[in-house]
Amino acid sequence: MANTEPAAIELRRLTFQYPNGRIALDEITCSIPTGERIAVVGPSGAGKSTLLMHLNGLLPAPPITSDDKTQVFVHDRGVTRQRLRDIRRQVGFLFQDPDDQLFCPTVRDDVAFGPLNLGLSREEVMSRVEAGLAAVGMADCSTRNPSELSTGERKRVCLAGILACQPAILVLDEPTSNLDPRARRQLLEILRAFQGTLVVATHDLDFVIDLCTRVLVLESGKVQADGATEGILSDPLIMDRYGLEVPWRLRKP
Amino acid sequence: MVVDSRSSKQSLFQRMPGSIKLLMALAMILAAGLIPLENWPAHGLLIGIIYIGLSIAGVTTGYLLRRLALFLPLLLVFGLSAPAVRSDGAAWSWTISLWLRCTVSFLAGLWLIHVLPFRELLITLRRWRCPAVLIAMLGFMYRYTFILWDELHRLQNARAARDFGSGPWWRTWSTNSQMIGLLLLRAMERAERTHRAMLARGWDGSIRFLEFDE
Repeated sequence: MANTEPAAIELRRLTFQYPNGRIALDEITCSIPTGERIAVVGPSGAGKSTLLMHLNGLLPAPPITSDDKTQVFVHDRGVTRQRLRDIRRQVGFLFQDPDDQLFCPTVRDDVAFGPLNLGLSREEVMSRVEAGLAAVGMADCSTRNPSELSTGERKRVCLAGILACQPAILVLDEPTSNLDPRARRQLLEILRAFQGTLVVATHDLDFVIDLCTRVLVLESGKVQADGATEGILSDPLIMDRYGLEVPWRLRKP
Repeated sequence: MVVDSRSSKQSLFQRMPGSIKLLMALAMILAAGLIPLENWPAHGLLIGIIYIGLSIAGVTTGYLLRRLALFLPLLLVFGLSAPAVRSDGAAWSWTISLWLRCTVSFLAGLWLIHVLPFRELLITLRRWRCPAVLIAMLGFMYRYTFILWDELHRLQNARAARDFGSGPWWRTWSTNSQMIGLLLLRAMERAERTHRAMLARGWDGSIRFLEFDE
């Protein structure tokens, strides 16, 4: 029987040009089924972060209403300005630098930011804050200033802030950058426990092997390869052509 | 940074409710503003009271003098501007009044920093129904002061690693001004990214707070 469930994310000839004229994304077409864990890899400047920001309607101002001009669809609904609130409720975004995301004076104020914007009751917000912090193992740090935390702890708090909004899709931009091995492992375990759809842009290919089932190789704003993680990452031709390296674990003797 | 590093100590004042501490500091500043200059013993008394308060809060005289050494020269220069532009006798009395009142206000502020953690100050302001935008701005300022401070240290380290000893003063000044400009640019870029991070979590322009049970 065919799967009739709408794709979590669908991109239809997504194109984006920065004001300086550089084409960051060039007619990207791709479908990500619900529950899939996909990695977007490629050299620096390939357009990975730009692509991810489109999934949350952060770049540029999306069309106001019409689906005709819409290029990004979340659960079959076009990302338009009118639907941004609903889209952002479904798509949680983890930014590369945790200091961009942690702007409140205390950890729990920050985790509560998203649930408060969802218009939830005080009790519900508090319960989500507790659950979010517990999920990332940071329940003891709720009254601390984010500046007192390590990079790994800050990333986990950022993730708690997103999990507290209970998104169906998690979009992560370079989640393992600047993390030590222990913090990286902790983050991996948290993400493995996440039940929804996952989109990760990263240079950490071992992390991709451990977490994702599918890989999208991006270069010069175009999808250059798309397939199963092991098949793509173990192909020296593809990896070499797009400025990547076959991870040690997948190298053939 | 001084904020919160000292206010988390446990003294008589640190255990008091935030509203009382804020009221006490504001009362001191108000009193310094209202007491006539002729009544100089009252000003002296105010300074004495705040000094005792600072001592109870654990502020040492050495620390206090170091802070005053940063503040008083600026105040001195500013106060001397009045006699420079006014020739009548009232100019000096205005200058002395400014010195006294500003010193009392500075000491009261210093005392408040040492007894009231910033988070408690924000909660107190929320209870006093201060405008939400003002409180949010204070919260941002507090959070990003730490980040920009770290950024500044990184820039200073990068400069120190490559300046191979101090050059002539004009070169040092030129590098410092470039660093300040760079810091401003980085702050602006961060503001843009932070705004995106807020939008990503459903921010619609309204400031919302939640009072947590302490």
